[in-house]
Amino acid sequence: MTVAAAVDDDMERTEEEEAPAAKDPNASLPSPTYRSLAAPVTKPVDKFALLPAFLKVRGLVKEHIDSFNYFITKGIRNIVKANNRIEARNNPSIFLRYNSVRVGVPSVQVQYIAEKITPHFCRLSDRTYSAPVLADIEYTVGKQYELKRKPNFIIGYLPIMLRSHACVLNGKDEAELARYGECPLDPGGYFIVKGTEKVILIQEQLSKNRIIIDTDSKGRVIASVTSSTHEIKSKTVIFMEKEKIYLQLNQFTKPIPIIVVMKAMGMESDQEVAQMVGRDPRYGDLLYPSIQECAFERIYTQKLALQYMDDKVMYPGAGNQKEGRSKSILRDVFVAHVPVESGNFRPKCIYTAVMLRRMMDAILNADTFDDKDYVGNKRLELSGQLISLLFEDLFKTMNSNAVELMNKTSEKIHSSPLDLSLHIKENIITHGLERAISTGNWDIKRFRMHRKGVSQVLSRLSYMASLGYMTRITPQFEKTRKTSGPRALQPSQCYSLGVEDLSLLSGEEIHASGSFLVMFNGLILGKHRQPQRFANAMRKLRRSGIVGEFVSIFVNEKQDGIRSFDDFLRDGLIEYLDVNEENNALLFRADSLLYLLVYAQRPLLTTKTIELVGYDKLGAGQNATVAVMSYSGYDIEDAIVMNKSSLDRGFGRCIAMKKYTVTKEKYEGGYSDRIVKPQRDKDGALLKQNMRALDEDGFAAPGLIIRNHDIYVNKQTPRNTKRDSGAHLTDRDYKDSPAVYKGVDGETTVVDRVMLCSDTDEKLIIKCIIRHTRRPEVGDKFSSRHGQKGVCGTIVQQEDFPFSERGICPDLIMNPHGFPRCKINLSKRFFQPYINNTSSRVKGYTGKMIELLGGKAGVSCGQFHYGSAFGEPSGNADKVEDISRTLVKHGFSYNGKDLLYSDCYFKTVPKSLFCLSGILGHPCQAYVFMGPIYYQKLKHMVLDKMHARASGPRVLLTRQPTEGRSRDGGLRLGEMERDCLIAYGASMLIFERLLISSDPYQVQVCRKCGLLGYYNHKLKASYCSMCKNGENMAKMRMPYACKLLFQELQAMNVVPRLKLTEG
Amino acid sequence: MERAAGGVSYQRFPRVRIRELKDDYAKFELRDTDASMANALRRVMIAEVPTVAIDLVEIEVNSSVLNDEFIAHRLGLIPLTSAAAMAMRFSRDCDACDGDGSCEYCSVEFHLAARATDSDQTLEVTSNDLRSTDPKKSCKGILIVKLRRGQELRLRAIARKGIGKDHAKWSPAATVTFMYEPEIRINEELMETLTLEEKRNLVESSPTKVFNIDPNTQQVVVEDAEAYTYDDEVIKKVDAMGKPGLIEINAKEDSFIFTVETTGAITAYELIMNAITVLRQKLDAVRLQDDDADLGELGAHLVGG
Repeated sequence: MTVAAAVDDDMERTEEEEAPAAKDPNASLPSPTYRSLAAPVTKPVDKFALLPAFLKVRGLVKEHIDSFNYFITKGIRNIVKANNRIEARNNPSIFLRYNSVRVGVPSVQVQYIAEKITPHFCRLSDRTYSAPVLADIEYTVGKQYELKRKPNFIIGYLPIMLRSHACVLNGKDEAELARYGECPLDPGGYFIVKGTEKVILIQEQLSKNRIIIDTDSKGRVIASVTSSTHEIKSKTVIFMEKEKIYLQLNQFTKPIPIIVVMKAMGMESDQEVAQMVGRDPRYGDLLYPSIQECAFERIYTQKLALQYMDDKVMYPGAGNQKEGRSKSILRDVFVAHVPVESGNFRPKCIYTAVMLRRMMDAILNADTFDDKDYVGNKRLELSGQLISLLFEDLFKTMNSNAVELMNKTSEKIHSSPLDLSLHIKENIITHGLERAISTGNWDIKRFRMHRKGVSQVLSRLSYMASLGYMTRITPQFEKTRKTSGPRALQPSQCYSLGVEDLSLLSGEEIHASGSFLVMFNGLILGKHRQPQRFANAMRKLRRSGIVGEFVSIFVNEKQDGIRSFDDFLRDGLIEYLDVNEENNALLFRADSLLYLLVYAQRPLLTTKTIELVGYDKLGAGQNATVAVMSYSGYDIEDAIVMNKSSLDRGFGRCIAMKKYTVTKEKYEGGYSDRIVKPQRDKDGALLKQNMRALDEDGFAAPGLIIRNHDIYVNKQTPRNTKRDSGAHLTDRDYKDSPAVYKGVDGETTVVDRVMLCSDTDEKLIIKCIIRHTRRPEVGDKFSSRHGQKGVCGTIVQQEDFPFSERGICPDLIMNPHGFPRCKINLSKRFFQPYINNTSSRVKGYTGKMIELLGGKAGVSCGQFHYGSAFGEPSGNADKVEDISRTLVKHGFSYNGKDLLYSDCYFKTVPKSLFCLSGILGHPCQAYVFMGPIYYQKLKHMVLDKMHARASGPRVLLTRQPTEGRSRDGGLRLGEMERDCLIAYGASMLIFERLLISSDPYQVQVCRKCGLLGYYNHKLKASYCSMCKNGENMAKMRMPYACKLLFQELQAMNVVPRLKLTEG
Repeated sequence: MERAAGGVSYQRFPRVRIRELKDDYAKFELRDTDASMANALRRVMIAEVPTVAIDLVEIEVNSSVLNDEFIAHRLGLIPLTSAAAMAMRFSRDCDACDGDGSCEYCSVEFHLAARATDSDQTLEVTSNDLRSTDPKKSCKGILIVKLRRGQELRLRAIARKGIGKDHAKWSPAATVTFMYEPEIRINEELMETLTLEEKRNLVESSPTKVFNIDPNTQQVVVEDAEAYTYDDEVIKKVDAMGKPGLIEINAKEDSFIFTVETTGAITAYELIMNAITVLRQKLDAVRLQDDDADLGELGAHLVGG
């Protein structure tokens, strides 16, 4: 049995047996009814009922919240407790102690008064949703070292995860949430830092405290363990080179023979080492060269071994000199997670032996190599853990800074006793956490952690997109590498991820056949002769609730050992993952830019997942009647043809809201910007036309139409901001600095809202939200839910559209060539060999087709149909056969095809008629697959992208046109385009494009020396400053970049000379 | 059509038989003509029969949850009683006004003022709340927006004449479609060779109720030829039974069955009649063109016949 199978098997049983038991509260485990209750749930449909129940307990983002809760309830206490006393280095009796620590209520300090804040307030006013970390401290004051206590001392502000225990939203019902301005469906689990919503992504990494057997780049067999404890994090590598086994550790300059290490840890007898690894002669043979090498070095005792190792220590100076540097390394760094209690190295010896044994197993039998991609060898780091690391680092920094200050001040003599608590600077923690979360850079030198992109802005394009962010996992390998291993589908990825760690017994009996090691979170607890019985007993304990419900127990026959992995569920360290999140970008809401769909609908064909997630409550698309046919030729390459009348009636219409922020600056002289009402002349007419959108208060008036170049905040700035006199400024002292709206000409945009708030520096912030209602146009991007995106190719009048005899006219026409490239279809095809049934999917019906059929049946019978992937055999999806039956009942063809009237000629279809086009009213030559498909408008819209220019701005240095749409840049005739023109022979065009249209420039060239001269406008003559005369000057035109190149070359002592001939 | 260019006259005399006529629904047969005629009629009904719809909205107060453009769009789509639309002028070529649409010949002004007062109930603002200067009434209440307590909506709207080609809000047609009339022939001799069971299977094979078995004579009879959707199922069944030719279905190329539903702006009868008027006007425009005038491609078609 493989490990993966063992895990699966276990999961399966958990579901089957525990769930019915849970339904009956009276069912105590040993009771006789247990068997019947434990009867397997036969129908998969019934099994599905477990999933909503599970999600009710766990939620989709619960892992984030649990992990954060663990940190604020326990983690933070442990960190503070471990470093609770700081003292002046030169005088230990001056000290400060943290007695307890807790996280307060989210609040801000406004003029020394704590004011409670809500998440929505923070979003609107660009603040951080954080709560004070309160500590009860005591410290010494004055020369007499009197003890002074300060309860509720703020050591910093901690950003609070929404819906965590510390959040105001925790445990609130829908009505209360609405009062706080929160959406009841919002899952929480993210932070608000400086007004933006940030998610700390789940980080995937290789298991800590676990032996991984692998080969390195040189092909050597290595056993590595990454140890991680509260105190230290280290990596231990044991590898085999030329049949000898060595230990490699950062602290040693060279690899150390493993037998020397064993001896250094007190295992002086070679026989004992050999016995610990295993008595089998094959292991002995493999170990022999290593033992021999140790003997050659004449190392027989622990003392000799330690001496040998001391010579190879990287930094010999540091550390405890008494016991020798290498011994402390062995104790603290080498497999650091195995504890050494009162100098007893035994557990480490046993652990090392296990590592050796597993290495040798791998050499003898390649099957026992570990797979780094195996999910069981991976661990997920959640926001709580990441913040905990950051907090620990910042807390220590804060303390060491405080110690520095204590040292400094304790030396000086003060008239009044100094308050030590003033040395604790809360800004270190507050700013450190805020910076890390808002930039996503986790740079923690103390733990050698340098990670970028840990946090990301929460996408609010759709509800699904937001959920997707919360459940996303960043892999530990670089995304740029094209390694296939980590990308491949791991069979173990089905179901879940677990946690783990290792310590042990004596001598050779460890590996005696038939006995299994008992490991708990990587520590060897003991051993058991009857592993299966032990496992079963453990499972019983789990079922009776004595052991946590998420503890996973399995027999690892490959590695000869039983492990019980504790997921620390109750402490909130549970790690589980849902990889099947779809992330289509839809229209929902965003911060600085948000899109709203005008008439959002609920999909006609839903899946069980959609219902679980709540997507049917927050739809982000519309059910469009789609005809799958070729029409107009503007539908190639996945383009779609749209019905103009549908667009007139509101299909695909969306509102784009964009936020524009203006700050009313404050200057040093006590001056600040001012906002004035629009200036008018005597008759009351506006001085400038672009002030028409302004209200009398100088801000744009909500509801007014605002056009390109209109002012939305009529701001003025003082001319001299440094003047120190307190004189009153008159109108003359101000210059205009209005905020001008840059929009698209010809579009009607409206001022939606104007919000005023103050930022953290008490400056006035004006936020104008400008709204634009957009109807779809050619080039806008749409997508069905099957990864099939396409732009609108053309918009056709309704009367030209095909129509059916019933009068149904599609909203949208899709080209049938899109089907085979539909991504979901491809993945279905990939999975088909794995599905062991005669489901309709295997017959060639793919997701989009089923959606069309199901939707069509749905509108005819007035019922929502299900289309869950692979759901037919389990009853979670409607079968195509049943859907077809419904269609036939309502007078449609069983295959979803309709007769449409179009523009093909009737005479060519002698036998039967099909589908009518609007242009000629003749039936189409084939039946057309037509029905509703849920379509979503994507954020890529032509309006935001279209760009063209004639002449326009240029770059200062080269005088060439600027680049990019945002700078109104030119369109570059690049190398490839140039190549085409050369090949075509359009020499004049090339000349014009490259030399005239870009950066033409006239230079004066000296025919004699070939250098550039200049034109003297006073004398109206050109002059060569090299020849000191203007006799041989010639005028010529060249690109400014060319002239620049010559001058730059001259600056580098390279002389470019132009040789001119008469043209 | 009197044309110098020779050729056979294709002039035909179409017949119309109205089967069913309700306020907003009509079903009629169009015979003795071809698809071009039928389709032209359909296209004109959808796109070129004029109606009146709200085209300009001035919002004074809007504290509802929907934004101004949203409400304006919804107002535009409300079908207004447009019986007089044919006689009205397009505001773009109205002489009586400067084209601002506020004159009696080309536009109708509406006012809407609604405010949800203290009651806890949400107030539904419908098209009945639109008050016009002209006592034209819109159809039964169509929901515009719902107001919560304290919210208010006050606006002025101007309805203008227009056609569906410009915007779907001016289209009076909800559904206009036609089908070719099917001609079903049952070969009685062959049918005699079938057992009752086979006959039943044959009748069942059509997804729609086209055939039936006469309870007395136990013969397969055509119950409703027009229920046939040209789905070929019966033909396939007949072929599968090994009796090709048992049933033959052909579409009559010169007779059409029209189904017309209107939005309620005008009655179905008006829609059909106005469509014919508009179609006539269009043909007149073509005919009145000077013979030498550049008709473009159309000229070539006319001459070439």
